[in-house]
Amino acid sequence: MTPALALTGMFVVPLVQAILVVLLPRPPGLRDVLHIGLSLLTAGLAVYLLNTVAHGVPVRVVFAQPLPNVDLAFSAEPLGALVAVVIAGLSVLHAAHTTGFVRATGEKAASGLMAFNALAAAAAMAVAYSSNLFTMFVAYQALALVASPLAARRDDEDAGRSVRTFLATILAPSMGLFLPAMVWTYTIAGTAEFQAGGILAGRGLDEGTANVLLVLFVVGLAMSAMPPFYQWLSATSGATYPSLVSIQALAVLPAGGLAVLKIAAFVFGSELNDAKLAAHALVAIAGVGMCIAALIALSKQDLRERLAYSCMAQALAVVMGALLALSAGLFAAALQIVATMCAATTLMMAAGTTAAVTGRRNAADYPGLGRVMPWTFAGFAVASASMIGMPPFAGAWAKVWLIIAAATPGAGLIWAAVLIGVAAVLTFAHLGPLAAAALAARAPTDAFKRPDGASILLATPVIVGAAATLWLLVLADPLASFLSPVWTPHP
Amino acid sequence: MIEGYIVLLRAHAPLLAIAVPLAVAALTALIASPRVAWVVASFGALTTAMIAVDMAGRILLGGTQPLMQEGVGLGVDAVGAFGAAIVSLGALLAVIAAGATLKDFGKAAPFALATGLAASAAWSGVVLARDFVGLFVGAQAGWLAVAGVVALAALRDRAGLNGALRMLSAGGVSAALMLLGIGLLATSINGVELSVLATNWHGAPISAATGLALISIALAICAAIAPLHAWAPISYARGGAFAGLLIGTVASAGALCGLARLIAFGVASPEVGGGVSLALSVLGGASVLVGSAQAVGAASLRRLAAYAVAVQGGCILLGIALGSPAGFEAAFVQLFGLVASVLALIGGAAAAGGDTLGALDGLGRRAPLASVAITAGALSLMGAPLSIGFLGRWRLIEAALGVGWWWVAAVAIAASLAGVFYGGRLIERLYFRRASTAVAASRDPWRFALAPALLSAIAAVALGLQPIVLLHAAESASQLVLGRAE
Repeated sequence: MTPALALTGMFVVPLVQAILVVLLPRPPGLRDVLHIGLSLLTAGLAVYLLNTVAHGVPVRVVFAQPLPNVDLAFSAEPLGALVAVVIAGLSVLHAAHTTGFVRATGEKAASGLMAFNALAAAAAMAVAYSSNLFTMFVAYQALALVASPLAARRDDEDAGRSVRTFLATILAPSMGLFLPAMVWTYTIAGTAEFQAGGILAGRGLDEGTANVLLVLFVVGLAMSAMPPFYQWLSATSGATYPSLVSIQALAVLPAGGLAVLKIAAFVFGSELNDAKLAAHALVAIAGVGMCIAALIALSKQDLRERLAYSCMAQALAVVMGALLALSAGLFAAALQIVATMCAATTLMMAAGTTAAVTGRRNAADYPGLGRVMPWTFAGFAVASASMIGMPPFAGAWAKVWLIIAAATPGAGLIWAAVLIGVAAVLTFAHLGPLAAAALAARAPTDAFKRPDGASILLATPVIVGAAATLWLLVLADPLASFLSPVWTPHP
Repeated sequence: MIEGYIVLLRAHAPLLAIAVPLAVAALTALIASPRVAWVVASFGALTTAMIAVDMAGRILLGGTQPLMQEGVGLGVDAVGAFGAAIVSLGALLAVIAAGATLKDFGKAAPFALATGLAASAAWSGVVLARDFVGLFVGAQAGWLAVAGVVALAALRDRAGLNGALRMLSAGGVSAALMLLGIGLLATSINGVELSVLATNWHGAPISAATGLALISIALAICAAIAPLHAWAPISYARGGAFAGLLIGTVASAGALCGLARLIAFGVASPEVGGGVSLALSVLGGASVLVGSAQAVGAASLRRLAAYAVAVQGGCILLGIALGSPAGFEAAFVQLFGLVASVLALIGGAAAAGGDTLGALDGLGRRAPLASVAITAGALSLMGAPLSIGFLGRWRLIEAALGVGWWWVAAVAIAASLAGVFYGGRLIERLYFRRASTAVAASRDPWRFALAPALLSAIAAVALGLQPIVLLHAAESASQLVLGRAE
C-alpha cells in the first residue's frame, strides 16, 4: 500500500462504511460488524499514515483543482496525522459504543446514526489532513452538513430548531468571516497552501491587516466554540449520546480547535506577533469564556448540558494556546485537543452507558451509581480528572504547558494563566464532586432499567477510552518531538 | 459533401441559433398533440443548443476570431457566443422540464412550447445583435414571448394573468427607456452599431452616457434586478414552472448577457467609464441587499427563486461594474451559476409536485432525487464550496479585492450570508421536517421533469469541482470583449 492510497482510503472507507450500514440494516449483527470493522480499518490506515509521517515521507493527494492554483488536496503532516489517528482510534470505540447503545435503547433509525457518525469522523479527519485553506474550508463545511442530522437526533420536538441554530451559527460565520479572510490571505500571499512558519510570514503585512485577518479567521471558525458563535453547542446538547460524542467530543468541536491551531501555525506563524492586539483580545475572550462556560456547566443538572459547557471550556483552552504565538502554546493546544478528545469521548460514552442502562440523565441521580457500574464510573472518574487537569492525568500536561506558555516572558500574559487556573477549578467543581459521589455514595436500590446492566459493548469502550487517557500521560515528550516540525519553519 | 454542409452550417451558426428555434416554434404551434409537440420542441431546442455550444466552443476555446458578421444585424463576439450558449442550454432544459407541466396548459401546450422556443430565439438575438436595433427588437420579442407563457398559465391559475399584466407593464416601461436610450446614443455616437460605442464618445459624452444608462436600466428590468423587479415574484409564483424556468434561464440570462456586452464598451471609455461602473455597482449592490432580504422572507419556492435571481443578478452586475477581465470572468461564472440554480430549484420543485415551502417538508424521504436537485441549487446560491456558486463568489471577491473595491467584497459576502439562511431553510425543510398528511399523500408527478433539474445539480457541483473549461471560456470572453472594446 502506498501512503497516497492510504490517505485516499481515509475518506473512502468511512464513505463506504456509511453506505453499507444504511444499505444493510438487517441483520443488526452484520451491520454492527461492518460499522466496527470498517472503523477499525480506517484507524489502521491512520496509524499507517502517522508512521509514514514519523519517517519523514511526504504524502499529498490532489482530488480536484476547483480554482487556478488552489487544489482540493490533502496531506499528512505531524499535527494533522496525530489528530486524525486519535479521531480514527476513538471512532472505533465510539462505533462499538453506538452499537451497544442502539441495542440497549432500541434507538430508531440506528443505521442513519451510525452512517452520519462515520461521515462526521471522516469530515473531521479531512479538516486534519487538509493541505490548504480552501480544502480546510470545504472539509469544515462538509462537517457542518454531515453533523446536522446528528444535531437533529433528539427525543423532543426541537429537532428543527436545533438544526437551524447549528447550521446558522456554524455556516454563517464561516461564510461571512472565514471565507473573506481566506480570499484575502490568498490575494496577499498568492497561495493558500499551508506551510510551517506561516504563509503570511515575511509578506510585509501591516499590523492592521494582520489583526483584522486574525479576528476574521478565529471568530469565523465557530466550531471552536469561540464567543460569540457558540450557541450551536448548547442547541445540540439535547441530542442522543452517540450524536453528542460526535458533535462535542470526537468531530465537530475538536475540528474547530484544530482549524484554529492550523491557522495559527500554518497561516500566521511568526506573523502572529504583528497581530498581538487581536490575539490578546481573543485570548482574553477565550479565557473569560472558559470560566463562564465552566460556571454555566456547574449550574446544569442535565448531564448532556453540563458536559456540553464543560467541553466548550476545554475547547477554548485550545484557542488560547494557539494564539499565544509561542511554540509552547502551539504544543499545549495540540496536546489539549488530543487529551480533551480522549477524556470527553470517555465521559460522553460513560454518561451514555448510564443513560442507556439506568435511564438517569441528571447529575442529582448519579450518586452511588459507581457502586453498581464500577467499570463505567472508573472510566468516568479518570476522564473527569483529565478534563479538570489533575496530575498525573493527560489533561494536566496540556494545562501545565498552557500556563507555562501564557506566563513566559515571551507572552507575558499572567492573567491568561490565572484564567486557565480558575477554569480548571470550576471544571473540578462541576465534574469532581459528581464523579466522587457516583463512586462513594450508597448504591441506589433500583439502579437498572435493564436487569442485565451494561453490556460489554457499552462498558468496554469507556474503559479503553480511560486507558487511552492514562496512556497519553507518558506520551508528552515523544509527542513534543513528533510535533516539532509544526512550529519549525522550513529553511 | 456532408462535410461541406457542416462547414457551411457552422459558418452561419449565429443565424441558425435564431432561425432554428423560430422554425421549430412555428412547427410546434401547428401540432395538436401536446406530447408530440413536446418531443418536437425538445428536439429543436437540442439542435439549437448544439449549434450555440459549438459556436461558443470555437470562439472561446478554439481561438476562432470573433466578430463574425451576418447580414441581418448579427455580430458575434465572445460575450455573445457565451451568452447564446447559456440561453440555448437554459431553453433546452426548460423545454424538457416542461414535459411534467404540460397539463397546466391544456390544449394550448404546443403554443406554450412554441412561445418558449421563440423566447429563446429572441434572447439569443439580443446577445448576438450587431446594433441597437437588433438589441431592441430581440429584447421586446423575447419579453413578449415570456409574458405570453406566463399568460397561458392563467388557464390553470387566473393569477397568472396578473403576472402577465405586470410583465407587460414593466416591458412597456423597459421598451420606452430603451428606445429613448437608443435615440440618445445614436445621435451622440453617430451610429447604431455596438462596435462604435467604445470609440465615438467624444461628441456628446453626457448624452451618450445617459443613453447607455437608460438602456442598461431597461435591460436590468428584464433581468429582474432589484428594486426594478416588481413584476418578477408573481410571474415566477403564478406563471407556472415552465414560465419560471424561462424567465430565470432565458430572459434573465439573456438580459444580463446583453447588459454585459453593452457595459464592456461603456467602461472602456475614459469619459464615462467611472460613472458607468459606479452606477452599475450601486444598482448591483442594491439588488443583492434587497433581493437577499426578500429571499429570507419568501413564502414559496418560486418566489424565493425570483429573489435569488435578483441576488445573483446583483452579483453579476457588481462583477461587470469592476470593469476588469477578472470582474467580467466572475460575472460570467455567476451567470452560469444563476441558470444552474434556477433550474435545480424550480425544476426540482416541479418534479416534486409542490411550490409552497410547506410542500418541501420531508421531501427528502418522499422524493430524494428532487431533493438532491433542490439542495444542490440551494448550496450553490449559498456559495457553498465545491459548487459553481462558490466559484463565482470567490472570483468576485478576488476581483473586487484586486481593484480595491472592498465594499463589493462585503456585499458578495452578504449575499452568501443571506444564502445560508434561505438556502439553509430549504435544506432544513427537505430533510429535518415531517410532511403533513395531505402533502405526503399527494400523487407523484411525471419523473422525467427531474432530468433537467438533476443535470443542473450535477453541473453545479461538477463545475465547482473541475471548472477549468468554464473558467477558460469566461476568461476568454472577458478578455476578448474588453480587449476589443479598448
